[in-house]
Amino acid sequence: MPLVAAFACAHTPQLLIRPPSEDRALVLRVHAAFAEVKRRLVAARPDVICIVGGDHIEGFFLNAVPALAVFVGRQARGEFGRYRYTFDVHEPLARAIVEQGIESGFDLAYSQDLPLDYAFYVPLHFTMPEPALPIVPLYVNVYLPPQPTPRRCYAWGRTLRSILDARPERVALMVSGGLSHFPGTDRYSSPDFEFDRALLASLSEGRGAETERLTGVELDKAGNVELRTWITLLGAVGSARAEVICYEPSWHHGNAVVAWPV
Amino acid sequence: MDTHYVFPPAAAYPLNRLLFSLKSDPAFRERYVGDAERMMVEAGLDASTRAALVGFDRDRLVALGAHPYLVFMAQLRLAMAREPGTFEEF
Repeated sequence: MPLVAAFACAHTPQLLIRPPSEDRALVLRVHAAFAEVKRRLVAARPDVICIVGGDHIEGFFLNAVPALAVFVGRQARGEFGRYRYTFDVHEPLARAIVEQGIESGFDLAYSQDLPLDYAFYVPLHFTMPEPALPIVPLYVNVYLPPQPTPRRCYAWGRTLRSILDARPERVALMVSGGLSHFPGTDRYSSPDFEFDRALLASLSEGRGAETERLTGVELDKAGNVELRTWITLLGAVGSARAEVICYEPSWHHGNAVVAWPV
Repeated sequence: MDTHYVFPPAAAYPLNRLLFSLKSDPAFRERYVGDAERMMVEAGLDASTRAALVGFDRDRLVALGAHPYLVFMAQLRLAMAREPGTFEEF
């Protein structure tokens, strides 16, 4: 079964718990974009959501740092303040991705015991249809150098697409991350919104394949280390033209919500 | 120019471990809010690292080998624990 939907969503925690430093109207505009994603997800009738996220040193600390990983437990759980999340995991699909991914030459790590990171549950908080669908959390290391190269992420996305297309399930592919932001650094209040705008213009023209030629240093300098999750999706959707549902730059973060026809 | 996110030096592991616990372990965070000095000493941090952590001196902590993201989120989670009323929850 081919993919039935493809989205990229921002996930900054200030969208879930808003401190006084954040513009409330902007936060609500991003929520409206999430509502549009939810509406389209419902219409696409997926059986499962595969969600590619960059772990924020939550599931994986310095005990083990896999470049690419798949969660293959029964349920994925995470917590943030008073929020508690539990998602059923689509185990047959998660297993198929690990097994066929490895057969295809991607040395994937897997885990059955990992706290879920907010990269996964912030977008799902706002977009999960009711009743809730099972998920498959897919990990790309974005914060702990050395991270996988954009070229590798793109190739993994292409392979992931071929695995998903051969499955019986209707799969929605969602990626979580970006765009420009520099948490914890002296660039925090000056993201590279010009990079973001040029990127979104390029993706709108179906030129996503160009992202595999970016270098890790270029991503870091643009505050876009998390773009590796998007590049994974771009490998899966090829030359499909992106539709930008919203781009809302705040004082520290380029919040983007984007859809691709599949 | 160095990148913003660099390979975490092994010498900074105790500091990064403590920041990770502050970020991700609610029980540890509660004990830290109660007695930060004791938790920092138990983690094996030296005096200058402890001083940087008391004021959450971001650039100093990063210079000491702290992962910038851990500094950022440990500080946010501490603020959520100390001033919960200032956050709007959706």
